Amino acid sequence: MYLELHQLNKRFGEKEVVKDLSLELAQRDLLCILGASGCGKTTTLNLIGGFLAPDSGSILLDGQDVTALPPERRPVATVFQSYGLFPHMTVLQNVAYGLKFQGMDRAAARKKGLYYLELVGLADRAGSRIHALSGGQQQRVALARALAVEPKLCLLDEPFSNLDAALRTKMRHELKRFQEELGITMVFVTHDQEEALILADRIAVMEEGALAQLAPPEELYQNPASPSVARFLGVDELVWREDGTVLKIIKQ
Amino acid sequence: MSKAAGPDFPLRKRASHDALFPAVRQLADQLILLALLASICLFILYPMVCILWRSLQDGDGVSFAMYAHVWRKYRQSLYNSMLTATCTALLCTAFSVAAALLTATGKGWLRVLGMGLLLITMVSPPFVSSLAYIQLYGRRGWITYRVLGLSLDPYNCWGVILMQSLSFVPVNALFLMGMLTKMDQGSLLAARDLGARPKHILRDVVLPLIRPGILVCLLLSFVRSLADFGTPVIIGGRFSTIASDIYMQLMGFSDLEKASAMNMTLLLPSVAAFFLYRYLMVKTGSTSGERSQQRGLWLPLHRCGALGGILAGGGIFFFLVLVLQYICIFASGFIKRVKGVSVFTLDHLERLMRYNADTLVRSMVYALIVALAGTFFAMLFSYYVYRRKVRFGSFFDCLATLPYMLPGTCFGIGYILAFNHPPLKLTGTALIVIANMLFKQLPTTTKICTAALAQIPDAQEKAVRDLGGDKLTVIKDVILPGMRPAFLSCFAYNFSSSMTTSGAVLFLIDPGNQLAVFRLFDAVNKGEYSMAALIATFIILIVVVVEGLVYLLASRKEKAHVS
Amino acid sequence: MKMKKLASLALALALGVSLVACGGGNGAQSSVSSSGTGSQSGTGSQSGTGSQSQEPQEPAAPQLSGTMKVVATNETYVTLFDEFTADTGVKVELLSMSSGDVLSKLRAEGGTPSADLWFGGGIDAFMSAKADGLLEQVTFDAAADLADDFKDAEGYWYSKGLTIVGFLLNNTLMGELSLEAPATWDDLLDPSYKGEIIMSNPAISGTNYAVVNALLQTKEDGWSYFEALNENIAQYGRRGADPMTKVTADEFAIGITYLDGTIDALLDQYDVEIVYPSDGIPWIPDGVAVFKNAENVEAAKYFVEWLFSSDENLRLLAEIDQKTSVKIIKPNLEGIELGYDPAILMKEDLSLFGAQRAEILEKFEPLMGDKAVNE
Repeated sequence: MYLELHQLNKRFGEKEVVKDLSLELAQRDLLCILGASGCGKTTTLNLIGGFLAPDSGSILLDGQDVTALPPERRPVATVFQSYGLFPHMTVLQNVAYGLKFQGMDRAAARKKGLYYLELVGLADRAGSRIHALSGGQQQRVALARALAVEPKLCLLDEPFSNLDAALRTKMRHELKRFQEELGITMVFVTHDQEEALILADRIAVMEEGALAQLAPPEELYQNPASPSVARFLGVDELVWREDGTVLKIIKQ
Repeated sequence: MSKAAGPDFPLRKRASHDALFPAVRQLADQLILLALLASICLFILYPMVCILWRSLQDGDGVSFAMYAHVWRKYRQSLYNSMLTATCTALLCTAFSVAAALLTATGKGWLRVLGMGLLLITMVSPPFVSSLAYIQLYGRRGWITYRVLGLSLDPYNCWGVILMQSLSFVPVNALFLMGMLTKMDQGSLLAARDLGARPKHILRDVVLPLIRPGILVCLLLSFVRSLADFGTPVIIGGRFSTIASDIYMQLMGFSDLEKASAMNMTLLLPSVAAFFLYRYLMVKTGSTSGERSQQRGLWLPLHRCGALGGILAGGGIFFFLVLVLQYICIFASGFIKRVKGVSVFTLDHLERLMRYNADTLVRSMVYALIVALAGTFFAMLFSYYVYRRKVRFGSFFDCLATLPYMLPGTCFGIGYILAFNHPPLKLTGTALIVIANMLFKQLPTTTKICTAALAQIPDAQEKAVRDLGGDKLTVIKDVILPGMRPAFLSCFAYNFSSSMTTSGAVLFLIDPGNQLAVFRLFDAVNKGEYSMAALIATFIILIVVVVEGLVYLLASRKEKAHVS
Repeated sequence: MKMKKLASLALALALGVSLVACGGGNGAQSSVSSSGTGSQSGTGSQSGTGSQSQEPQEPAAPQLSGTMKVVATNETYVTLFDEFTADTGVKVELLSMSSGDVLSKLRAEGGTPSADLWFGGGIDAFMSAKADGLLEQVTFDAAADLADDFKDAEGYWYSKGLTIVGFLLNNTLMGELSLEAPATWDDLLDPSYKGEIIMSNPAISGTNYAVVNALLQTKEDGWSYFEALNENIAQYGRRGADPMTKVTADEFAIGITYLDGTIDALLDQYDVEIVYPSDGIPWIPDGVAVFKNAENVEAAKYFVEWLFSSDENLRLLAEIDQKTSVKIIKPNLEGIELGYDPAILMKEDLSLFGAQRAEILEKFEPLMGDKAVNE
């Protein structure tokens, strides 16, 4: 498979945060890691991104073992929950920032940065300061910055949690569009069942550091592996698309 | 690679970027860390060990005999020191709160005036304030004798306490001002809304909210008072503290062993106070580092009952004394006596320019070097210790706070003892003076930088790594730009402290690298009060001008960034 | 150039590789000074013949170079050292520093002094430094012209003059308090002066130490004198100039202070009066010495020879010092007349100054404490 996590373990002191986690993901798929806060999903993301080193286990990406690589050497890019934009740089400088490490010259980096800004609809704000942007716009800049380095894998850590409900729905659809158009493999962390069901090709439900179930949304919804997974999903009725993904959720 | 559907962007190599291999850059990162920690060991720990070692020398062996002797002979001075430090801490904090409240609640130009006065008087060259005190309040002082018709004896423990209290106020007051202006206006409004009258707001909201700041002022004043030798030496009369006794041992007896032992003894209460400070700071959380708003605090002090009246009165009294004192200093530099009458003169100025013009320039250059290098060092150090959480970080953090607790003379002697032999022969060079100032001021600059560091989101740092930058890139692209607000504070602190540092450099200055503050000390020693006052005036002028320029430059750049 | 050096220092510091860079810069200077060593002994003897003639002729300057670092009691000596630079090409860097500061620094430096020449200061500090082996022996032919009482027999230190001690009175205060001017040391014990006399702590002030030592030498029961005097003394200043400054500031009526041209000048500025005690004037030589192991020892040694071998140089010194006492040091000096009768000077055995210092000061210390606190 394109992304393979094998038997990952991570503990902080006495606390086992990730327990024997193994999962696989095909290229161009979007995996949602879903779970209540404190279940180890962000830690898992940090392990994939290289910000934490696992105590044991390995991570394979596109056939390459990346377990020992530091973040800057991993072909992985992250959209952080708080975006992590650089306030002292312009929007374009932010988006083009990662390109200089790929050895791209300034003019080419600028051109590519603009291309991705256009993609997220912010080409006209290229020269703005980060603080001059709204929350949704900052979110898009963070996404453009991650996509611009053309990572093999894009990680998103609850990226929409700081947005209001309407904007969140809109951004979900845009993200899905980008992912499909650009054919990017993504891992998306969320505690929002609705978000996971709408976005994901596959969903990994985590409970107390361990994988509770890994399945496509439909299967997960119809055959929860355990009562606790079913309780966590807690939704009533779904409207399905033709391709088997979720179109709409109807809550109780 | 999952190729994007977008157009191709060719990988043209940039000429200069990342010519270094990742391994080399990794090594460089480790080397910077190593250099930082090694410098701390070399320039703080090692001199301290030298002092300790010297204090244990007993003619023909190692013993604690000197400590026993110090304890026997100087118990009275130790008691005096503790008494003075306690009283100074209380009085100084009271004045600080009063001055800060008066300034923060002042309207329009009053607030600007108060801020201006505090900023100027924060630059307080050593010794001259005490000289002004004698001129104003001595037995034949301007105020006490000529205006009030009193003939008081100012040479006692109360003179020392009053003088110390007044001269430590500006820094404390500015710190409290920062807290007051950042205070959540919502709670004040809520209190008003709920029917609280001004005096209740003051008592129930404002004072409790700045309580952590008040504690900090108490402890910092306590430590500063313990280490201050200039004030008791000049206006103590027969009254002596450990700090002034150390000065006597060094200047009169050149007894390094005894002076070292006394320094180490004095360290005990300082360290105790400092650990209390750290404990309280951890409990209340750091509050500095944010940019204060230029907003007034709504609280009419005159309607705050007795407490408000006392505070307003204390604040006004403080400002009055402060203004008189600085006028006295500024004027003294341009006055000489002819047949008992004071007349205006440029004689002192002419003499200063003839013999010491280069001294002033050198002081400024050294202070600039310390301000830049020291700020840079503090930024890196706080990043590695607080962000990267390197191993033994807290140990090094403790080491880095040590110089704050040491009397300056002790730190200076330690440097001579440590660096007088090859391969570490630094005595007689500019480096030893610069390093001494830098590391003496490191405790404060590190605190400022750490506070600023806390404002930089973790995600920015991760983003750099994620997009392909390494640890060095993080420092360059996130940490240093993110600490821009701290730069100004560190620079200002380093610069003014370097221009006015008194204790340490007294023993590190050599022919060829004289500094203005040493010339000031020498002038005080020779009784050339006018010259001392004139040098002090120049020091204040230089600091105000240089810091003003840096502030303007920084705020212009800031504006350019925002627009 | 200087700025460039400083900038590079800053850089070195920031990079943490400063030690190497700095050591290199320093080495250059010391190697220069040692190159002068060879020629020095030869010129020393030559210069001896030169000084025999009455012409203020300086000894032929040996090959000296580099910089001579001087710690002096005053920066006004610059004009004297400018002459030295003109004659020898040795640049001089001068720093004004009190002798207590110099001695502490010297001890801390552990035999690696950062200055070459010590110019001025109470002789007790010089004696102490000699005892610690911190001074360099200097011998030259013209030293024979100097009075034996005022130089070290082995040539470790010389005197460039005497500092004498007397009283400075504040006439305004004396009038207000209706006090009679004291004329002798014994007069100071009059109870009417209680709280109006200020002297310096003898540990800090060489001149006030001279008062203590000289009176102990000459008086029958010296210690009871000081115990009685202590009753009248308001405070013991922690700086040598305290009595002068506090009397001129109308703080105290009587100060026990050094007397020289600068004190004479005060008569024009303030309503003050100088008293030369009629029962004897304590005095202390003003020292000159070369630091052992200094970087430019040769230049400093030659300076001592240069100064004392030439009447012209000594006259220049006397002019700067505003003291005529150099005539006592070198009786055959021409062009200077002593401003007072040498008979008024107290009889002092200088050798006791160094030997008794620790003991006397220790005995004196309890006297100076805060009476109110110690009770």
